[in-house]
Amino acid sequence: MAIAVIMPRQGQSVESCILTELGKKKGDQVRQGEVLFAYETDKASFEEEATIAGEILEIFFEEGDEIPVLTNVMVIGTAGEPVEEFRPDYAAPQPVEAVAGNEQQEPESHAETNTTQPDTTYTPTKPSGTGISPRAKNLAERYAVDTASLAGTGPGGRVIARDVIASIERTPKTTPLAKARVQGEGLMAGPFGTGLAGKVRGRDLNAGISSYDREGVVKPLTNMRKLIARAMHGSLQNSAQLTHHLSADARQILELRKQVKNSGARVNITINDMVCFAVIRALKKFPQANSHFLGDSIKYFDRVHLGLAVDTDRGLMVPAIRDADTLSLEGLAVKLRETAEACRKGSVNPDILSSEAATFTVSNLGNYGVEIFTPIINLPQTAILGVNTILPRPKEIGGGVYAFVPHIGLSLTYDHRALDGGEATRLLAEIAGQIENFEAHL
Amino acid sequence: MNFDLAIIGGGPAGYVAAERAGAKGLSVVLFEKNNLGGVCLNEGCIPTKTLLYSAKVYDTASGGAKYGITAGEVTYDFGRIIDRKNKVVRKLVAGVAAKMKAHNVTVIKAAAMIQSRTGEGIVIEAEGESFAAKNLLVCTGSEAFVPPIPGIESAGDALMTNREILASKEKPESLVVIGGGVIGMEFASFFNSLGTEVTVIEMLPEILGGLDPEISAMLREHYTKKGVKFNLSCKVTAIDGTTVEYVDIENNTRKITTERILMSVGRRPVTTGFGLENIGVELHRGGIKVDEYLRTNIPDVYAAGDVTGFSMLAHTASREGEVVVNNLTGRKDVMRYNAVPGVVYTNPEVAGTGHTMESALAAGLRVKELKLPMAYAGRFVAENEMGNGLCKVIVGEKHGEVLGVHMIGNPCSEMIYGACMAIEQEMTVKELEEVIFPHPTVSEILREAIFTSEE
Repeated sequence: MAIAVIMPRQGQSVESCILTELGKKKGDQVRQGEVLFAYETDKASFEEEATIAGEILEIFFEEGDEIPVLTNVMVIGTAGEPVEEFRPDYAAPQPVEAVAGNEQQEPESHAETNTTQPDTTYTPTKPSGTGISPRAKNLAERYAVDTASLAGTGPGGRVIARDVIASIERTPKTTPLAKARVQGEGLMAGPFGTGLAGKVRGRDLNAGISSYDREGVVKPLTNMRKLIARAMHGSLQNSAQLTHHLSADARQILELRKQVKNSGARVNITINDMVCFAVIRALKKFPQANSHFLGDSIKYFDRVHLGLAVDTDRGLMVPAIRDADTLSLEGLAVKLRETAEACRKGSVNPDILSSEAATFTVSNLGNYGVEIFTPIINLPQTAILGVNTILPRPKEIGGGVYAFVPHIGLSLTYDHRALDGGEATRLLAEIAGQIENFEAHL
Repeated sequence: MNFDLAIIGGGPAGYVAAERAGAKGLSVVLFEKNNLGGVCLNEGCIPTKTLLYSAKVYDTASGGAKYGITAGEVTYDFGRIIDRKNKVVRKLVAGVAAKMKAHNVTVIKAAAMIQSRTGEGIVIEAEGESFAAKNLLVCTGSEAFVPPIPGIESAGDALMTNREILASKEKPESLVVIGGGVIGMEFASFFNSLGTEVTVIEMLPEILGGLDPEISAMLREHYTKKGVKFNLSCKVTAIDGTTVEYVDIENNTRKITTERILMSVGRRPVTTGFGLENIGVELHRGGIKVDEYLRTNIPDVYAAGDVTGFSMLAHTASREGEVVVNNLTGRKDVMRYNAVPGVVYTNPEVAGTGHTMESALAAGLRVKELKLPMAYAGRFVAENEMGNGLCKVIVGEKHGEVLGVHMIGNPCSEMIYGACMAIEQEMTVKELEEVIFPHPTVSEILREAIFTSEE
């Protein structure tokens, strides 16, 4: 019996996901547990595995398509079984777990889909309640604009005339030769035209007017990259952030780290775990920085939800450790390790990746030898701590004697809209103090 | 006063740029030491076309018998031909002056001298007064090149360039034209029509170098029949009074004695005498070096027209001036030279634009030539008794884009712009086939030629 594989819902706020990679093609045999396709939300990437063995009878989408959650992506079954009834309806996504024999589909749409070629190209994925205005539709038809790819700016994301006009204006005008060369030779139109009133000419296709156009490949941004770009740029544009740097005597935490290593303890506690623990302690004393700046108000949190910047091969992720202030050092260490691992594997819960999920973030580049940096705040959070590498610094060790003492660098970026320099400095000093007197916590 | 734009030279580059810039609200000062309009209006395009039209009327009147019209004895009055030419020039120069006024251009009728480039902009002096401008456009044009041929000074007033010959009081009985390019051929055509014995001496194997050689040969044969003597592949070695000595292709030294000598071997950019060196503008092959935006090596200093030394055509100059103004006023515009039309106003006219077969092959393009005699256009047959003409279209082999069009036959000077539009738009044969041409016109020859592409 054929079954449909749906686009899973990842988190409550996710309405659609991008199909990033098809691991299988139509006609392939799959075993239970094999990866069928990879997909991503705007925050994370995931893989979907086969729940039964069988043949892939049909795939309804292509890589790069945006697919509403719970929509049928492909059908697995036995060769020869009908697949038409699994085909995603244009108007509304298929209900969950549609199975063969399910009579929910309208008889007419059966007739329609049977006579047309299987549409495996692009399926419009507007959430229900949107669509296109008659005027926009008219315009789009006249100027051959693909409305499926347009982001509507009308009510509820409806595509309206101005969206179509903007699309027409965005599209560079090309000469007939340039069109022929694009079609016949697979060339790409560059951003500049050197022809009449900026028209793209044949020679603009391969050469362009600057060496910039001639080199390299152009890749569209992944969803995640777009999100990071928007968030980071937005943070610098929309807040008043600056960074204070100081360093803390690291002898205590280094000693503790050595002990953990030598003792063969059940939980491996790293320098980062200890710094995070110290940060949580400090935040309990400085609730001003455990907060969200909301424009005309500031929300102060009772609990510390600690964000941790995790470097993955898909890009930066910042999962939140919820209620981190309730955890013991060991508990925190375990939780941090598990969460970072989930990010790297792509199995992290997207709900904890939102910048609203955390109240304060730690970004540790110490492992990479970074001496000083200025981390960017994840708005609406009000501060972020950058943790630097440990360097020996001269320090008086008593009796006017100076020695080289290992120090860990701390860079606190804060939003001056929410916090003043004095508060930020005191918080930073408190974190340093917590690190220097770490033993006291245990 | 600090101007947005100073322009040195009031020819087709300068006055058009001034007009456009003025229309866009820039404050403009234009320096011209002679008459507005430059060589084109005063000593080139316009006066020669006026003379050539008189010659054409004379040709038509005296050749009317072919069309069943006899006009009795047809005569001409050389003095009145020249007077009319002067009147036309005066009228058009006044028209340029009116345009300058209409667009609030400050015209300084004096020689300009570039002084320096300072924080205030570029400082220019004229008539002891100092002017400053944010931008400078140099369009000082070109002058006829007179090569240092041994004995050339012995010719005295008999040796003329385009400037002197246009001021002639009377028709010479004989004329030797040194240089069979566009200017040489237009004067040869004019004086041939009026009955002057014309001899053309050309160093290259064909007249009208750079144009389609088949069409050039057709024009030469036409004028040979009309009595012009052509000495091709010949090099002038000496001038002794009114005797011109030249060496022919077989290395024989020959001599020809004449009443007048027209020197039309080419033109040279004018880059000295107005302080270009004071701001360090770089030259290249005798002209001012510019990029595709007509920018020189000095910021805010531009050059357009003959002074850049390559196209040497009035309409190129005007467009170059416009490119400068467009970029100054926020409209990105790139100068393109692939569809510059070139016209020889002989009778019949020759017109061409874009690649010739020869230049396309030299550029490594894969092209084909679509070719039809003008007689395929009914209107041409109706109006050109015994005349022949030719239309050639050069198209890309793969996509059929129009790369060049070359024609001989009246009135191709008025048709060639259509080809320029097709090339600028990179139209292919397919698109052109769908364009409706008026019938009956000579222009239909282009459409007919295009349709031979499928044969």
